[in-house]
Formats: sequence, C-alpha cells, structure tokens
Amino acid sequence: MPPPDRTTIVDGPSFVEFATTRDPHLRDLLVEAHLGLAHQLARRFANRGETHEDLVQVASVALIHAVDRFDPDRGFEFSTFATRTILGELKRHFRDKGWAVRAPRRIQELYLELGAATDALAQELGHPPTVPELAARTGASEEAVLEAMEAGQAYRATSIDAPDRREGTIASRLGQIDAGYDGAEDHQVLVDALERLPEREQRILHLRYVDGLTQSQIAEQIGVSQMHVSRLLTASIARLRESFTES
Amino acid sequence: MAVDMSPDPTGPARSAGAAAGAQVELTLSVADDLLALARLTVSAVASRAGFDVEEIEDLRLAVDELCLQVLQGRRSGRLVLAMAGGSGCIDVWCRYEGTEDARPDGPDDEADLSERILDALVDEHGLFEDDGRPGAHLTKRRALAGG
Repeated sequence: MPPPDRTTIVDGPSFVEFATTRDPHLRDLLVEAHLGLAHQLARRFANRGETHEDLVQVASVALIHAVDRFDPDRGFEFSTFATRTILGELKRHFRDKGWAVRAPRRIQELYLELGAATDALAQELGHPPTVPELAARTGASEEAVLEAMEAGQAYRATSIDAPDRREGTIASRLGQIDAGYDGAEDHQVLVDALERLPEREQRILHLRYVDGLTQSQIAEQIGVSQMHVSRLLTASIARLRESFTES
Repeated sequence: MAVDMSPDPTGPARSAGAAAGAQVELTLSVADDLLALARLTVSAVASRAGFDVEEIEDLRLAVDELCLQVLQGRRSGRLVLAMAGGSGCIDVWCRYEGTEDARPDGPDDEADLSERILDALVDEHGLFEDDGRPGAHLTKRRALAGG
C-alpha cells in the first residue's frame, strides 16, 4: 500500500483552481510545494558527473512543466504525474548530455548512435522504438543494444549505491559522465536564459530553487517584501519559459 | 505466508501474459553489488515481451527501487529475482535470502520516494514476506497492450 500522498492538500482544490485560473502566483505556490520531490529525484541521478545543482535545475524545470500540464480531472495523484515527468526529463538530460561511461569503445559509440536512432525512429514510427527496431536500425545485435543501454544508465537508488559502504560501486565501475561533453540543448537554453536575467533575479532563483529557501526567507535576505519576491519569481520563470518556447 | 516466486504459470499472482512467456530466475550476491545484472536481465526479458525502449528504461529504474525496498540497508546475503515476461506484460519478484537484519539508514521519506517512483513507473507493486524473508514484486504492462 503506497504511503499517504503528502501532496494531497494541494492536489485537490489548488490544482483544480489553477486549472481554471492559470494564476501565476498559484503556480509558484504549487511548484514550491513540490520542490522537495524534484530534489529527491535529482539525488537518484547523483554521482554521475553532474552537479546536484544542475540536476535540481533540470528537475525543477520539469516540475514546472508538470504543474502546467497536470489535469486534476484525470484521476492521477499529482506526485505520480510529476515523478514520471521529472524522471523522464532527468533521463533525457543524461541521454542528451552525452556519454562518459568507461566502457569498451564500441559500446560508447553504439550508445551515442542509439540516442540519435531512438529519436529518429520515434519520429518515424510515432512511438518509442523497441530493442529489435533499434538493433535493425543501427546494425547492432539486440544484446549489444541492451548492453549499451545498461552502460548508459545514470539512475541509481542511492541507498544501494552509497560510495562509503563498500569498496567501489556499480556507478564507480561504470565510470563517470564526461563533464566536458556538453550537448544538452535544453540545459544550454536554460543556462543562457538564466544568464540573461538581471543579477538579482538570478540570485533569487538560486536561493529559491537551489538553496531551497522560502519566499519569506529570500525576502529577508535581499531586503524586499515576500510579495515582491513572489512577483520577481513569477516574472523570472515566465522569462525562462519564453526562452524555451522560442528555442 | 509462503510466496511462490518461481516463474511458474500455475503460481499465484501471475499475470497471464507474463507467465506464458520468458521466465528467468537470477540469484545475486548482495556483497558483489551485481544489480547491473538484474537490470540487464529485466531489460532482455522486457524486450522479448515487446516493450519499447522507454518502457524498458522505466523498468530498469523500477528494478533498482524494488531491490532497494527489499534490501533495506542489508549488505550481505543474496537477492533472488524471478521474472516472467510475455504478451506485453512483465512480472518481477525479488526476495532477500540471508541472515542480516534490515538497517534502514536513510530518512523516512526515502521509503516514501521508492513507493512514489514505483507508483509512477509500473502498474502494480507491493511488498510480501516469504517465510520471514522480505520480498517485493512489480507488474508492468505495455501501454498499448490494453493494460
């Protein structure tokens, strides 16, 4: 039996209200209420060459998308929907980010090829490809495709993978993502958009979504009202969203 | 309660489609940290059952969580995984065999998170006890298989 969903309070009236009003302030509150989930899921992808801050950014943007897309009438818990959305985005982030797993070169090359083939086949077929379809497209065996998929696995249930518990972990054996390999289009769009924001707004976003401060705590730190912080956050997120739309 | 984990089509809690297909049982040493083999095996079974790569990715994450739920901080003993997959459906059972007591050392919300992740990734999941040994199972169906 799954545990009680602590988001139930906001799953009900708030999401119903947001679905009707699309009130940006309410959206901020909904995002804020679920940031803990984004942080937790980002930790599942830790120790793979990406900073926690970067992963939390990806997860937080996915959370915003989840808040925007969630339809409370469909009968799902928001946390279930958001978990799927955030995990999907984090997986995509690692897939797009590229490759750094220390594996035989043929597997490295195949992994890269699989990413492109998966996207192309999904477009052509109208659904994600199967392993045999990927194998046919790349000319690799199905076993090799599976091996490359496993070698590219970025996700770890952290309690199993804690590095201080034993000598070496699966993650350490499989290697690290090359920090210099930069291919994440979404990530780059986000970074560029953040850099275009005024310094104060960048700081507020950092305090809110990286450091996890409340709006009131941020207001205290930078010497403005909580309402002003709320407005600045809303405006900043709107600008980030515009950047994604334009890209 | 005794739970039959063998991928036996006559056993309880089997999905009909899964039981009719490929069946695999895998025993892993916890100390050897061989979870990658569990993920690789479940990927192969799922592929044979017709799952696409996105669904297989979900299953791999789910198997990590399933094992985490069963281990609860244990660092010795064995994990026994049984898998049955066919006709767009896969069942996975995982059971701990060993003498070490659970030592959950993460915050309580880690267990909640595992539940939530499994809720999001698979169709059914749950914990069981097999003659005092902790276990967990999951079922995932292909979205296009009507499940």
